[in-house]
Amino acid sequence: MSAPEPKDLRKLGDRLDAFQRANEARHKTPPPSSAGIALRFSTEMVAGLIVGGGIGYGIDWLAGTKPIFLIVFFVLGAAAGILNVVRAAKELNAEMSAKKDGD
Amino acid sequence: MEQFAVTTIIPLHLGGYDVSFTKQSLWMCIVVSAITLFMIAATSRRSLVPGRMQSMAEISYEFVANMIGTAAGEDGLRFFPFVFTLFMFVLFSNFLGLLPGSFTVTSQIVVTFSLAAFVVGMVIVVGFMRHGIGFLKLFVPHAPWYLLGLLVPIEFISFLTRPISLSVRLFANMLAGHTLLKVFASFVIALGGAGGLLSLLSIAPFFLIVAITALELLVAFLQAYVFAILTCIYLNEGLHLHEHH
Repeated sequence: MSAPEPKDLRKLGDRLDAFQRANEARHKTPPPSSAGIALRFSTEMVAGLIVGGGIGYGIDWLAGTKPIFLIVFFVLGAAAGILNVVRAAKELNAEMSAKKDGD
Repeated sequence: MEQFAVTTIIPLHLGGYDVSFTKQSLWMCIVVSAITLFMIAATSRRSLVPGRMQSMAEISYEFVANMIGTAAGEDGLRFFPFVFTLFMFVLFSNFLGLLPGSFTVTSQIVVTFSLAAFVVGMVIVVGFMRHGIGFLKLFVPHAPWYLLGLLVPIEFISFLTRPISLSVRLFANMLAGHTLLKVFASFVIALGGAGGLLSLLSIAPFFLIVAITALELLVAFLQAYVFAILTCIYLNEGLHLHEHH
């Protein structure tokens, strides 16, 4: 039995590399759907409001100062929600542009 | 709706608390046994050239290991057992929930919120163990000092929203998918019972159900992936205190 020619081996290696590269794109996770993005942003926003309102209501309940802290923390919660949405959007943006560069 | 109702199978009361064995408990047991059986079956042969089962187990192992490696760094790999368990549990719950007549564990907010609260609780514990009191720097963004009084509470609230957004995302996706399937299924029945030419039309929503089921398979996987990768990202912050920009 003669050993396979190095040239054949190289050809096989090249073909394997090409195959792998072609398949790499398929194995990446699919981009999120528009509904998925909308759901993500809205949950981030609403979660901020819920937590802020919850903390404010809790402090008011403990200190008996209704509704001062509820108002203050609701506004802070809204700010946190917006911050979350901005961060999520930034992440998504980075992901999308990375994907575009990969193509 | 009927498929989301938690019904009691074996009533149990312990110290004034209702700890009955419910449909929920039953399906959690089924999910865990299915994962265990799958992993045992896959690793029983341990051949050098893997068969189908072994390949699936190896792919899921590598998938999760890569995910942790890229999202949480090398020392995040110590949490591999945790993240892998979480990923497999959510994945199997989502997939088994798609079987007709089954129960989706992850369509209950109690379950997803417990998982998410556990994740965030663990991040806090890991962060304090790693950095001591310095972990609190996570809540201090780069900003002029006179703004910190406003920004620190906002960062704090933003941190506290994590378990909520993490759990609601999984729960809402599962709930919405199953509701959609149910709505289209009811169209089939209503049109089929209408008689005449309308009965023939009932084939249209039927094909839509088939298509949506395929989509739901994708969503089931994607949500398990999102849950696991967000866990990794949060762990990364607990481990390395990455500042936001």
